Amino acid sequence: MLEIRDLNVFRGATHVLKDVAFAVDEGSLVALIGANGAGKSTTLLTLSGLLPARSGSILFTAGGTTIDLVQSSSEKIVRAGLVQCPEGRQVFQSLSVAENLAMGAYTQSDKAAIKQTTEHVYELFPILSERAHIAAGSLSGGEQMMLAIGRALLAKPKMLLLDEPSLGLAPQIVEKIFDIIEQLKATGVTILLIEQNAAMALDIADRAHVMENGRIVLSGTGAELAQNDRVRQSYLGVAA
Amino acid sequence: MSQYLFQQLINGLALGSLYALVAIGFSMIYGIVRLINFAHGDLVMIGAFSTLALVSAGVPWPVILIFVLAIGALAGMAIETIIFRPMRGASPVTGFIATLAVSIAIQNSALMILSGQPRNFLFPAFMRQRIEVSGVNASLTDLVIIVLTLLLIGGLFLVVYRTKLGTAMRATAENLMAARLMGVAVNRTILAAFAIGSALAAVSGLFWGGKFGQIDPLLGFVPGLKAFVACVIGGVGSIGGAMLGGYILGLAEVLFVGLLPQEFSGYRDTFVFLLLIVILLVKPSGLFARNTEERA
Repeated sequence: MLEIRDLNVFRGATHVLKDVAFAVDEGSLVALIGANGAGKSTTLLTLSGLLPARSGSILFTAGGTTIDLVQSSSEKIVRAGLVQCPEGRQVFQSLSVAENLAMGAYTQSDKAAIKQTTEHVYELFPILSERAHIAAGSLSGGEQMMLAIGRALLAKPKMLLLDEPSLGLAPQIVEKIFDIIEQLKATGVTILLIEQNAAMALDIADRAHVMENGRIVLSGTGAELAQNDRVRQSYLGVAA
Repeated sequence: MSQYLFQQLINGLALGSLYALVAIGFSMIYGIVRLINFAHGDLVMIGAFSTLALVSAGVPWPVILIFVLAIGALAGMAIETIIFRPMRGASPVTGFIATLAVSIAIQNSALMILSGQPRNFLFPAFMRQRIEVSGVNASLTDLVIIVLTLLLIGGLFLVVYRTKLGTAMRATAENLMAARLMGVAVNRTILAAFAIGSALAAVSGLFWGGKFGQIDPLLGFVPGLKAFVACVIGGVGSIGGAMLGGYILGLAEVLFVGLLPQEFSGYRDTFVFLLLIVILLVKPSGLFARNTEERA
């Protein structure tokens, strides 16, 4: 579904991503783990067309058509079905919950389908339905995370990019968010997950890649990496 | 209420309407691209001269109003597409200097084409009469300006708060990155903000000519500057704030002149800017700003 080949990205003069290559199969959940500054968020921003690539290609195939994301506008990428739920949630604070969801559906034109998805999101997160007409900025962090995921769902993603969904949230909320992620996977949405909570990410991931200094240094199934000594030491906080 | 005060109030509201129409666009443009657009006032001049041309072509007034809105929108879209869009991402100072350059270019082109000679600008005779309302009389021109401005602002609020385009504008103004991640057509949304803001400024030019009776190619400078002041008073980036800032400014100017002794009336701008300084001292983010995010 997604194939990244020899991707090089610079931010200013800094060479952030160095020959990054990996693939995500349709229907799978792939985790990308690594320390702060390793290049995980840069990878996702490049996938969404917000950062230009110096070289390489990112082929995204959905519904029988393949596009190179490196050559595509962010609008075209969302329309193709690759949707990102960004780090720090980034909900529109001054807009109401309902307006945030409507913005998620910006690329959709089927009103009945939008209404149906909105109701589905309200079922997943009943609290959002109660707060539909409240400004998103006054929601708690956990509620904002739910809204950010709901907003992304309204774009009808075939593949969802999740950047640090557990960041700064209480453990029960994190559990809930991870439950939702697994539910989404069960409905056939392909997921690329960035997580600092490596243990939880590896637990639900089909495959995982470890990123260090802008390179993929380790790849394997979630279970394999969870057993890997280097991963256990560096990311799971287990003494070797 | 004394008749005198009532007349001053109508006069101030009409002037405030002119400022509000310019300030709203100024604020919309700042809100969405963080650009202090000093060329915005020149749209007022473009609107005023377009009106003059349409009058001499024999176009009826209601149609002129529509045309002026359209001309303003097209001019704003042209400026955004040709000048500002290629500069997106440049430093704020570069953008700011560019708007000054655009302003100078527009003013001097107008001077070359139209000459610096002020032109008389007359609303039709029935608009220039004074009408009596329960014992006090007011200029019909002022009343028409006030009412039409309220209708235009009402329409604007419907677009901004009740349509998908308006929601996208507010979303883009607040968080450009998140808007792009939702697939919002950001350039088209910015273009729409320029179109709407510039259309309102151009109509303000139509009213400006009618109220003051004379127009010249440099007339955009003062409304541009006053719109900036109105935005700062109201809180830059907020549409409601810019509107209220415009009304406060118009009323303050007229009331300073109307209520202070005659010998101070030449200093009305001094009092206006004094008011600005006081407001900035007391509430630096503007009277109606909702948050303390970076402002002009």
